[in-house]
Amino acid sequence: MSVLLDGLSLGAIYALIALGYTMVYGIAKMLNFAHGDIIMVGAYAILTLLNTTGNPYIGLLAAIIVCTIFGIVIERLAYKPLRGASPLAVLITAIGVSYLLQGVAQLVFGSTSKPVAQPGYGSVFLFGANISYTTIITLVVGGIIMAALTVFVKKTRTGHAMLAVSEDKGAAQLMGINVNRIIMLTFAIGSALAAFASLFYMWQIPSVQPTLGAMPGIKAFTAAVIGGIGSIPGAMAGGVLLGVIEKISLSIPAVSNYTTAIEFSVLILILLVRPIGLLGKKRREKV
Amino acid sequence: MNKFTKVAAVVLAVMMVACCMAGCGKSSDGKAFILGATGPLTGDASSYGISVQRGAELAVEEINAAGGVNGIEFKFIMKDDKATPADATTAYDSLMDDGMQISIGSVTSGACEAFAAKAKQDNLFFMTPSASAANVIADRSNAFRVCFGDPDQGVLAADELSKTFKKIGCIYDTSDTYSSGIYEAFDAQMKKLGTSYTTQTFDKENNKDFATQVETLKDCDVIFLPIYYTEAGLIAKACVAKSCGAVLYGCDGLDGVADQVDATVTNEIKYITPFDVNSTAAVTAKFVSAFKAKYNETPDQFAADGYDAVYAIFNAMKAADVKDASISASDLCDAVVKALTDASFSYDGATGKMTWDASGACTKVPQVVTLKK
Amino acid sequence: MGYFKNVKKAFKLKNYANYIGVVAFLILVVVLNQFGMVNRSSVNLLNRIGYSIILAVSLNLVVGFLGELSLGHAGFMCVGAYIGCYFANYLGTVIESQFVVLFLSMLVGGLVACVFGFIIGLPALRLKGDYLAIATLAFGEIVRCIFKNLPSFGGATGLITKTYRPSFSLAIISFVTVLIMLIFVQNLIRSKHGRAITSIRDNEIAARAMGINVTFYKLFVFIVAAFFAGVAGVIYGHLNSPVSYDVFSYNYSIEILVMVVLGGMGSITGSILAASAVTFINFELQDQLTGNLAALKLIIYAVILIFMVLFNNAPSFKKLRKKLSVKEYLAAHQKKAHPEKIRDDAGAWDRIETKIKMDEILSVDISAQEPFKADSPEQGGNKDE
Repeated sequence: MSVLLDGLSLGAIYALIALGYTMVYGIAKMLNFAHGDIIMVGAYAILTLLNTTGNPYIGLLAAIIVCTIFGIVIERLAYKPLRGASPLAVLITAIGVSYLLQGVAQLVFGSTSKPVAQPGYGSVFLFGANISYTTIITLVVGGIIMAALTVFVKKTRTGHAMLAVSEDKGAAQLMGINVNRIIMLTFAIGSALAAFASLFYMWQIPSVQPTLGAMPGIKAFTAAVIGGIGSIPGAMAGGVLLGVIEKISLSIPAVSNYTTAIEFSVLILILLVRPIGLLGKKRREKV
Repeated sequence: MNKFTKVAAVVLAVMMVACCMAGCGKSSDGKAFILGATGPLTGDASSYGISVQRGAELAVEEINAAGGVNGIEFKFIMKDDKATPADATTAYDSLMDDGMQISIGSVTSGACEAFAAKAKQDNLFFMTPSASAANVIADRSNAFRVCFGDPDQGVLAADELSKTFKKIGCIYDTSDTYSSGIYEAFDAQMKKLGTSYTTQTFDKENNKDFATQVETLKDCDVIFLPIYYTEAGLIAKACVAKSCGAVLYGCDGLDGVADQVDATVTNEIKYITPFDVNSTAAVTAKFVSAFKAKYNETPDQFAADGYDAVYAIFNAMKAADVKDASISASDLCDAVVKALTDASFSYDGATGKMTWDASGACTKVPQVVTLKK
Repeated sequence: MGYFKNVKKAFKLKNYANYIGVVAFLILVVVLNQFGMVNRSSVNLLNRIGYSIILAVSLNLVVGFLGELSLGHAGFMCVGAYIGCYFANYLGTVIESQFVVLFLSMLVGGLVACVFGFIIGLPALRLKGDYLAIATLAFGEIVRCIFKNLPSFGGATGLITKTYRPSFSLAIISFVTVLIMLIFVQNLIRSKHGRAITSIRDNEIAARAMGINVTFYKLFVFIVAAFFAGVAGVIYGHLNSPVSYDVFSYNYSIEILVMVVLGGMGSITGSILAASAVTFINFELQDQLTGNLAALKLIIYAVILIFMVLFNNAPSFKKLRKKLSVKEYLAAHQKKAHPEKIRDDAGAWDRIETKIKMDEILSVDISAQEPFKADSPEQGGNKDE
C-alpha cells in the first residue's frame, strides 16, 4: 500500500512534467527536450530562496515566475525562428538548449549536488503504513492542478483557442487566433507546471544538481508517450502508470536494479504495439 | 564550404602536429621527483579529489620546506579524471608525458583500476590514498594503498553489527565499485556468522529516491550503508520522512555526511574511519592545525589520506636512500617497494600507524566515529 | 557528352579526397613516430580520434543520409565494447597473436551490435522523428542498465580488458579501420542503394511510391551503423580498461550527434573533420576545464548545436546564409562559370531545394487502413479527449 502511494505521488510528479511535454507537443508539434531542465532551473530557484528566506512557498512562487520566463525566452529565441523547419532541426536545437541550461547551471552553482532542507512535516499513519505529509500534498496539489488545467482547456476561450491551434494552425490563424501568442502561452503554462514539479521532486529527493532534470525529464516524456502524446488525460494516466511501475519495480529486490530498463522497455513496447500511445488519437499521414 | 573544409583540415593537422611536438620537451628535468596523481576535481565526487589534492599539496610543501629527499624536492601534479576510468587513462598518459616517476594513484576505485592497469605496464609505483577496491592492488606488485580495503571494511562491519544489533538492514549502490565491493565482503561474512539481514539496493545514476528502500527497512535497528555521503544524507532524510529511527552505520565513504544532514535528522550516524579530527595524537593534531592554517577548513579523511600517502612515499624513498632525481619510474618503484615492505618500516601518520606487506594492503587500526545531532 | 565527362572527373577527385586525407595523416603520424615525436598523450588522442570518426560517420549514415534521428548510438558502442572485449578476453587465452584477437573481436562486437541494430531498426520502421529519437535513447539506456547489472561483465567496476600494446599500433589499426569504413560507406552512398536511402530521407512516401523498399533500406542503414559503432566500441575497449558503463550514457550519443551536426549532416568529410576537431578540443581541454569550468564544454556544445541548426534551418537566416556561403561567393566572383556539379555526400540535406512537392499530387495516405475521407478533421494532435 505504501509502495502504491509512493508510486502515485511520484506518478503525480511525472504527470505534471509530462503535461508540459504533451501540451507543447500538441500545439507546437515539437519535442521540447529542454523541458526537464526547466525543473532543474526551478529547483535552483527554490533552493536559493529557501536558503535566504527559509520558506519553500516563497521559493515556489519565485520558481513559477523564473520557470515561466525561461520557458517563454527559450521559445522565443530558440524555437520560434525554426517554425516550419524540419522536426529534426527543432529537436537538435532543443537538445542544445537542454545542454546550455545544464552548462550554465553548472557554471553558476557548481557541479556538486547541494543538499536541501526537508520541510519536516512528519508523517501520518494511514492504510496500515506511514505516509509522509509531503506525499499527500504532492498527490492532492497535483490532482488539483491537473483538474484545473482540464477545466481551463475545456471551458475558457483561451483553452478553446489552444485546442484550435493544435488542430490546425493555419485554420486557427484564419479564425483570428494569434498562434504565436498561444504557443507562447503553452510554453508558459508547461513551465509553470514544471515549477510545481520541481518543488515536489525536491521533497522526494532532497538534493539539487545541474543534471537533476535530465532523468525525470526523459521519464516524464516516456510517460507522455505512453499516454499518447498530445493528450492531456493521457499524460496524467501515463505519468501515474510510470510512477507506480517504477516504485513497484524498485520494491522487488530481484528486479530493482533493472528499473530503468523496465521503464524504457515499457515505452518501446507500447510504441511498437500502439505507436500513438494509450489515449492518443490517430493521425493521418500526409505527404 | 569546400574551401572551408580544406582550410579547417590543414589547420587541424598543424595544430595536432604542434601538440605532438610540444609534448616532447616536457619530461623530467632531473631537478625534482615528479609525483603524479589523478582524481575527480569535477562532479559529485570532486570533494574527495579536492581533499586529497589539498592534503597532498600540504605534505609536499612541508617536505620541500624540510629539504626533500636527499635535497631533492618533489613536484606534485594532479590531473582531473572526473572519477571515470577513461579519463584516468588519459590523465595517466599525460602525467607520463610530464615525466611522472612516482604517484599516489587515483582517488576513486573505478578510476584507480584504469590507472593501476596502466601503471602495472610501466612498473610505476603508486600509493593510492583512497581507492579501496580489492582488485586495485591485487596481483600488482607496484600498487599500494593507505586506506582500508573494501573487503576489510565489509568484514569489520559485519562482525561489529552482528555483535551489537538484532535487526539489520543494508542499502548499497549496485552501480558503484566501492559500494558493491564492501557489500560482497559484508554479505560473505554475515553468511559465515549466520546472521540474517535484509538488503535493498539502489542505482545512484538513475535513482536517488530512497522512500521505497527505507520503507522496507523501517523496522530495523541498524541500516548498514556502504555508500558515499551524498546518498547517505538522502537516506537519512528519507528515514525522517518514513519515521525510521534506525542507526545508520557506514564506512569511510560516509565521511562528510555531517554537512548533508540537517536538524530534522535524529538518527544516530556511525562510520568506520581511520581518521578522527579530534584525535590527540601528535601527528594528527599537527596535520589538522597545519591544514586549517593553509586552507581555513577542517580536513576530512581524504585530505588525511592524501597527506599520509605522500609522506609514506617520502619516508620509503628516504629509507631506500634515493639520490638521483632522474631515476626511471621502474627503478624507483623497485627501490621503494623494497624499502616499504621491509619488516622494520612503519609510518606514523595522520590516520594512525601503518605498515605494509607485499600485497599492497595497509595495516592500521580502525576507529568508529559517531555523529549525533 | 562533354558535360558528362566533366561530371565524371569531378566525381573522381571528390571520391578520393577523404582516403588521401586519411592516408596522408597516417603517414605523417608514422613518420613523426619514427622520429620519436609522438608522445603517449598524442597516441591516446589518435586512438580516440580514430574511433570518434567511426562513430560520427556511422551516425551520419542514420541522421544525415537516412534522415532519422538516433540518440542511441552510444548504446551500440556499448554492446560492441562489452561483447567484443568479453570475447577478446576469452580468445586471449587461446590465441597468442594480439592482432588476430583484436580483429576477431571487432568482427564479433560489430556483428552482435548488428543484431541490436536490427532490433532497434524494427521500431524505426513504425516510428518517426521524435518518437524514434526517444525510442533509441531508451534503447541505449536499457543496454547500459543491463550490462551494468550483469556480474559476468564486471558489474559496477566494468569489464576488465586486456589493452592492446603498444597503443601506437592500435592507433594505426583504428585509422586503417577508418579507411576501410570510408571505402565501404562512400561506395554505398554513391551506389543506387545510397540514392535510395537519401530518397527516403527526402520524401519517404514518394520513395515508397517509386518502388523503393523502405523497410529494407531503413533496417539496412541501422544495421550498418550499428556494426561500425560496435567496432568503435571494441577499439575503445582495447584502449581503456576497464570498460565502464558510465561512458555510454546518452550524453555520449549527443556528443556524437554534435560531431555530425557540426560537420554538416550528410557530409562525410565534414564528419571526419568535426569528429577530429571535437575529440581534439575535448582532449586538450580536459586538464584546463576542471571543476565548474567543465560546464564550459557543455555550453560550447550547446552553442554549436543551436547555432548550426538555427543558421542552417531558420527561415529568417536565409539571407545571411546566402551572404556567408563560400559557394555563393565563389559563384558570384568567378568569371568562368562551371557547369553545375552534382554533389553527392556533401549535398547538405537541409539545403536541397528540389524536394519533391508531392502534396498536391499525392495527398492519399498509403499506410492508412481506413478509406480516405477528404477534409476530415483528424489531422493534428487532438489533445483533449
